Amino acid sequence: MSGPIVRDQYKVSPFLVFYLVHSVQVGVGVMGFQRISSKVAGNDAWMSVLGAGLSIHIIIYLIYKILNKEKGDIISLHKNLFGKWIGGLLSSIVIVYFIAMSITVLRTYIEVIQVWMFPDLNKWLFGGVFLLLTYYCLSGGFRVVAGISFFGVVLPFYLVLTMVFPIFYGHFQDLLPVFNHSVKEIYEGVKGASLSYLGFTTLFMYYPFIKEPEKSHRWAQAGHLVTVVIYTLVMVVTIAYFSTDQLENTIWATLTTWKIAEMPFVQRFEYIGIASWAIVILPNLCITVWAGGRGIRRLLKVSQKSATIPLLILILIVSSVFAERKSIDLLNEYTSKVGYYFVYVYIPMLFVVQYVKSKVVKEK
Amino acid sequence: MFRWFKKTQSPDKLKNLPELIKNLKESGDFFHFESKQHGSSFFLYYFKTLVHETPLNEHILRFLSQEPITSLKDIKDKVPITGIIITEDLKIICEKVMTGYVIVRLNENSVECALIPCQVKKARQVSQPEVEFTVVGSKEAFVESLDTNIHLVRKRLPVHELKAYELTLGKLTNTKVVVMYLEGIANEENVNTVKQRLEDIHVDQVVDSSVIMQLISDNRNSPFPQLVDTERPDRVVSVLCEGKVVILSDGSPQALIGPTTLVEFFSAFEDYFVNWIVASTARLIRFFAILFSILVTPVYVATLTYHYELIPSDLLSTLVSSRQRIPLPPILEALFLELAIELLREAGARLPTKVGQTMGIVGGIVIGTASVEAGLTSNVLLIIVALSALASFTTPVYRMSNTIRLTRFPFLIFAHLWGLLGITLCFSFLIVHLLKLKSLGRPFLEPIYPLRVKDLKDAIIRLPLRFQSTRPVQLQTEDTKRFNIKIHKDKNDFHE
Repeated sequence: MSGPIVRDQYKVSPFLVFYLVHSVQVGVGVMGFQRISSKVAGNDAWMSVLGAGLSIHIIIYLIYKILNKEKGDIISLHKNLFGKWIGGLLSSIVIVYFIAMSITVLRTYIEVIQVWMFPDLNKWLFGGVFLLLTYYCLSGGFRVVAGISFFGVVLPFYLVLTMVFPIFYGHFQDLLPVFNHSVKEIYEGVKGASLSYLGFTTLFMYYPFIKEPEKSHRWAQAGHLVTVVIYTLVMVVTIAYFSTDQLENTIWATLTTWKIAEMPFVQRFEYIGIASWAIVILPNLCITVWAGGRGIRRLLKVSQKSATIPLLILILIVSSVFAERKSIDLLNEYTSKVGYYFVYVYIPMLFVVQYVKSKVVKEK
Repeated sequence: MFRWFKKTQSPDKLKNLPELIKNLKESGDFFHFESKQHGSSFFLYYFKTLVHETPLNEHILRFLSQEPITSLKDIKDKVPITGIIITEDLKIICEKVMTGYVIVRLNENSVECALIPCQVKKARQVSQPEVEFTVVGSKEAFVESLDTNIHLVRKRLPVHELKAYELTLGKLTNTKVVVMYLEGIANEENVNTVKQRLEDIHVDQVVDSSVIMQLISDNRNSPFPQLVDTERPDRVVSVLCEGKVVILSDGSPQALIGPTTLVEFFSAFEDYFVNWIVASTARLIRFFAILFSILVTPVYVATLTYHYELIPSDLLSTLVSSRQRIPLPPILEALFLELAIELLREAGARLPTKVGQTMGIVGGIVIGTASVEAGLTSNVLLIIVALSALASFTTPVYRMSNTIRLTRFPFLIFAHLWGLLGITLCFSFLIVHLLKLKSLGRPFLEPIYPLRVKDLKDAIIRLPLRFQSTRPVQLQTEDTKRFNIKIHKDKNDFHE
């Protein structure tokens, strides 16, 4: 059971996992995750968000249990558990999932820009420049990817403050009565909310790049915890600010709340917000494309450069082809569905299989 | 690559000393002198322009003519000058005579000779620092002479740990370059990196330390300087004590310091001479000035091209009324003014000081007001551009302020393309670029990324000196402790 060898100079310190986990979770999801869970859970949706967050804490714990035993990444794990061919097949599914995630992120962001800022944005040019930026980042190796995820968290963090404005106008009695939805409804909400937490599974790829990876566990949990706190906060504020019916028709509730932010020198804050969001999206794209490229490299024994460039071109083409709102929704839905099963079904299964196999091997 | 160079220069072609002397005689300032008395004879050859005449006449000639000389060893024993060499190696002879040694032969056809050092040392007096002037603090600056510069450092740091590793660079200029560091403090890896990179330099001329800087930078295609250059010996001493490595080059009044970080370019040495609160405020203002300088004109272009809605109506009316008569789109307006400022600066830099001042007045006042009145640019933009130009000059290191002004142009283009979104994209490019940069193999953005809380004591703000008890983690020094903090601790009680 041994993973890939990564030289020390390319490794990052364990505390950066905080940023890696947090930045890949907060992406396009936070712009409009509220609608999905509040559709079923109504004013109890914040409990769904919190519940989903807590459940993912357990999943992260499982991931670390698996990886600490494996001391490698998901490619070597698959190979060790299922053999070369089935393992390879499963690995390629995971890689496709990562790539689909990056396409979803880029496409959704471009859609937000088209709807809110530039209706006639040239998505080929914009996507091209954005992916060029991604490539520039990736060419610096994983250290730079970790660096950009650090800045992707620190620099736009001021946006959390903008959640103050809707508080002034919110009706917090809307949160009452608590528990006026059935457990099943809240559970459905959890299912919806868990989608905005996805992305942390890239941990499976960059685990070997962490110095003393066992120590990074608490940082991964902390990064996720911050996401949970932010999401819950945003959810509570959103429920207070919107009525349930209005929220159902608001695709990007967070962006809508930005509209009321007003300062002496700035109105229409959403322009600044969406523009700053590029720094949030960049690490998202970088980490997922990096994970995809790294996976291909490990699987096919090609250089990561020659794996990444076609990947980026593919992402550009696919994300520009999905032009309609319907198809973007479909894309989002499928990626999140796959993500949901990956997180809640596949990871526990991996854990069990690894556990059983290690027992069997020991007995032999 | 340097084959042409070998053909013309190689002393291998000259077979022996008489041939070399014949070759040297082609120069007008190459002198020779013969003396034949009391049976012994000697021949003297030297470059008049390289040799100090007084010691030549007073010591060398007097001794040689008074004492009977039978062998070259006699010269070495009797002439009261240290560093006399007796050799027949043509390469050494050639090299030494070109640096102000006198060749002495006893016999016109002998291949062996004595080389007596007698260099003339002409150097500018140590003068005030002009680029990095500070009101308080030392008023000495480096000069072009390497020996004087080393002296300026050594007298401030009289410890034997201070090492000065010497090497010669440039196939034609044969420039002496010295790497200085404190043994036992500076990380050996850093020192070796510097030495290795210097040794790998194969160019024909090293006329200034900035040539070295370009040649040993980690990323040579980056507009960002990756080594700090300074003309202050006290700054050099201070960074040596921190554990950094300093490169001094003969003929250059600028020392190079590495490894460095981005924030070091925004710290003036004066920051250490004033109270920490004042120093920290100055630094914060400088950081603000840099952000302002890079971002304000692009933000103007972005908002006025795409996001009118962003500006509150009161402010918007001011902007609109100032732009009412302007026929140009904001990007052209901004580019026009930015170029005008760049022209002014470039013209000012090329002209003699006195004419330069007139330039400033003509450019600043006449062109500025005239272009507003002519309706080519708006008042508001004129203010913005002038302020951002001013802000870019607050950077203490001259090279960095050049870079900052340059960075503005891609931002402008991106702002015109996609408004604020373009600015963020360009900013991301900048951050990724900075993330990838390294200075002598150490991360350039430290202590921000990788985040090292210990090094934040002297980064964006400067904490009191008693907090500066450890050397920067960035440098991975061999001895991390600067002083014992306990001695400096204040007693935590009210005075009775």
